Amino acid sequence: MSAEPGTLRARLESRVNALKRALRALFLPVESALESVFGPRLNPITQLGTLGWFLFWIVTASGIYVYVFFDTGVTQAWQSLEQLSHDQWWLGGIMRSLHRYASDALVVVVLLHALREFAMDRIRGNRWFPWLTGIPLIWFLYVCGITGYWLVWDKLAQYVAVSTTEWLDSIGIFSEPIARNFLDSERLSGRFFTLMAYIHIAVPLLMLLFMWIHIQRHAHARVNPHRALGIGTLAALVALSLVRPALSQAPADLDTAPFRLGFDWFYLNAYPLLEHMGGRTLWAVLVGGSLLMTALAWLPPLRKAPPARVDLANCNGCARCFADCPFGAITMVARTDGTKYEQEAQVVENMCMSCGICVGACPTATPFRSAGELTAGIELPERSVAALREEVVAAAARLTGEPRVVVFGCAHDAGSATLADASTAVISLPCAGMLPPPFLDFLLSRNHADGVLVSGCAEHDCFERLGDQFTEQRIANLRDPNLRDRVPRDRVAVSWNNPMRRGSLREALAQFRRHLLEKERSSPAIRPGGRPAWRAKLRTWPAPVRYAGQFAAYAAIAAFVGYFATQPSFQYLAPGQALLKLSFIHAGQPLKPCRHYTPAELANTPFNERRATNCARGRWPVTVELDLDGRPLYRGTHEPAGLWDDGPSAVYARFEVPAGPHRLDARLRDNGEHQGFAYTGSEVVDFVPGENFVVDFSAADGGFVFDRAVRGRYPGRAP
Amino acid sequence: MTLLEWRDDFRIGIEEVDHEHRELIELINALHAEFGGDASGGRAEGLLGEILAGVSAHFALEEKVMRARGYGALTDHKADHEHLLDDLRDLMDEHAAGAALDEDAFAARLAEWFSAHFRTHDAKLHKSLAR
Repeated sequence: MSAEPGTLRARLESRVNALKRALRALFLPVESALESVFGPRLNPITQLGTLGWFLFWIVTASGIYVYVFFDTGVTQAWQSLEQLSHDQWWLGGIMRSLHRYASDALVVVVLLHALREFAMDRIRGNRWFPWLTGIPLIWFLYVCGITGYWLVWDKLAQYVAVSTTEWLDSIGIFSEPIARNFLDSERLSGRFFTLMAYIHIAVPLLMLLFMWIHIQRHAHARVNPHRALGIGTLAALVALSLVRPALSQAPADLDTAPFRLGFDWFYLNAYPLLEHMGGRTLWAVLVGGSLLMTALAWLPPLRKAPPARVDLANCNGCARCFADCPFGAITMVARTDGTKYEQEAQVVENMCMSCGICVGACPTATPFRSAGELTAGIELPERSVAALREEVVAAAARLTGEPRVVVFGCAHDAGSATLADASTAVISLPCAGMLPPPFLDFLLSRNHADGVLVSGCAEHDCFERLGDQFTEQRIANLRDPNLRDRVPRDRVAVSWNNPMRRGSLREALAQFRRHLLEKERSSPAIRPGGRPAWRAKLRTWPAPVRYAGQFAAYAAIAAFVGYFATQPSFQYLAPGQALLKLSFIHAGQPLKPCRHYTPAELANTPFNERRATNCARGRWPVTVELDLDGRPLYRGTHEPAGLWDDGPSAVYARFEVPAGPHRLDARLRDNGEHQGFAYTGSEVVDFVPGENFVVDFSAADGGFVFDRAVRGRYPGRAP
Repeated sequence: MTLLEWRDDFRIGIEEVDHEHRELIELINALHAEFGGDASGGRAEGLLGEILAGVSAHFALEEKVMRARGYGALTDHKADHEHLLDDLRDLMDEHAAGAALDEDAFAARLAEWFSAHFRTHDAKLHKSLAR
């Protein structure tokens, strides 16, 4: 039901609906164009889900290969990948490029898939389930991509490491900023790096689990694209890998900050926003966006027809409806009515989409039954088989002229309702798959019509998932209940079109009529059964044009992926600037000084509880100030960490500073006084462009430590 | 007079299948009785339509059972089902044209179907399941 008009929710819902319509207006022409080039079976836009699975496997296989040669050491990582790309370009290099480009293509496919399911309104009702489980998949995908770029340990990886850890720190759940792991080269630990490698392997496994969950409510879910489409996709990615191998940028060096970076816009698109809106706002945007996206499945809640109902008097538990339900909404359970049948069908009402495909599968749904009451074993309460029989017989009886055609249309086809005229009756079903094949036999053998046309959604893109395929298979005698062999297949036509292709549907009907008339005159032999339904020959491009079109489509997507995987480049640090980081960990003074226990007190304390000193928990916050050339650059008071306020205070701040000589004055107070500073330090630093300069603090070393002094303390490194 | 009589040697040993075999025979007899002497074209077709639906559903169940038990001769058995359904449909076409139902011939034909099908295919299934 829709929300009351005027409310926020009603406004939101009307926006969402308008957005869906607008997106459909964008998708449908593209889909028609692609279908005319690829044909319905290979149309990539209707196979985005399976393409996602396929790309996932490419990424997995190439990733395993790259991992064999990859070294997780801080210095060895970059080198091992360089060797792979250059010494073994003919396989390792291709694998590495495939790993990157297939991952990038996966982002494109996943986002398009989500957008399209939304646009086509296939996310409401029972379909909230794949929608909801798909949202964490997008997050996992990004975690995989970001950790992957991290592992290369080049300049981009350095940027990713610093920005990601700063971004995570903005949540405020880490007592010590994890960005400090990447403060400068001396502090970088190989262990953090190993952790990244584990995450990069663990999250894809989690992703696979969710991919499996994602399709659980879809019966007969397909996880492989049509073979030719898979081969084309793989070939396009290999070609891209050869033309534009994925390479590392300069090796990471935490003592210098990158200026301009080749940037993967598929995975890192949110990062530039960090500088503009700050970490917390970006988290809010992404989490809020995900929640809003989740809510779309109920904006507005799907108002569907009542679910299918089983009539036990007509159900013997043959399980055909169970086999055909596209949404897994039918289960076979032990018999409840005391008859000797073992099972009966049961409808899981909240999973039923009321498409009626189960009715089309029921062997008792035959219009030849006229002695008693016509009730099928499973029925849609609002579209009973008996009423359908009555409606179609009455409509057919009104037909005049030659040939008389009955069209069965569906709720999402190319406007079949507009086809009705004196010699054409149109019967609308929720889905073409609801039509029980005996209706075709009945209409033709009892001379209610000269031909029957079944019209539905675009081929292989049925709104109810499988209506078109099941209809075709039943007619072609490939699926039970099949259309009896005696029914002439050239009097049974099918036409599958997306809602935009009204012309194609009209043309199909016109051709079918001509075909039926010609048949009357020449009366050729009846086509034997077990043959597919008759189809109009719609105008298509000649084969060379279609192949050229396919090639162009593959080339276009490869070029798109190849370009945005590194370009346009991203300016991190402006030219002529240096980075100044103020970061340290320092514990403020205790709120109260510690007191030694007296010998008497100790004697009264149980042995296992004795301690030397009695310290009240709690520390003073640490106040720190930093001036640049006498002007305030940073002012901050940092509370102690820990639930009892007894941990150290952590400071992490980053500034851009123009290169050249600057005077730094730093002050720190940690004793709860209101004025005066326990520690001060000054230094004149001649900043080099691109330098990463750290102002540290160590009470044990007497106070503030300016970066170059730190470096000087480590042997083997020039100050 | 009943058209068909259930015989114990029709049993194939799967309770629900045997049950439905019996139900079908009952259905046929009941419909036959209900129609009494009036077996003119239109009514005959209605009667046959009910039988067609019942037999179709029964075959669907039997095929499910065979599939579930991995019965090797499913294809042949199913082909015979299709053949029986075609026969029934032929009969329906004859009567749709207005021909009255010749009870004796119809009874004989049904009995022939059942006994022949039971004797060959269902017996084979019975044996295969008994092993």
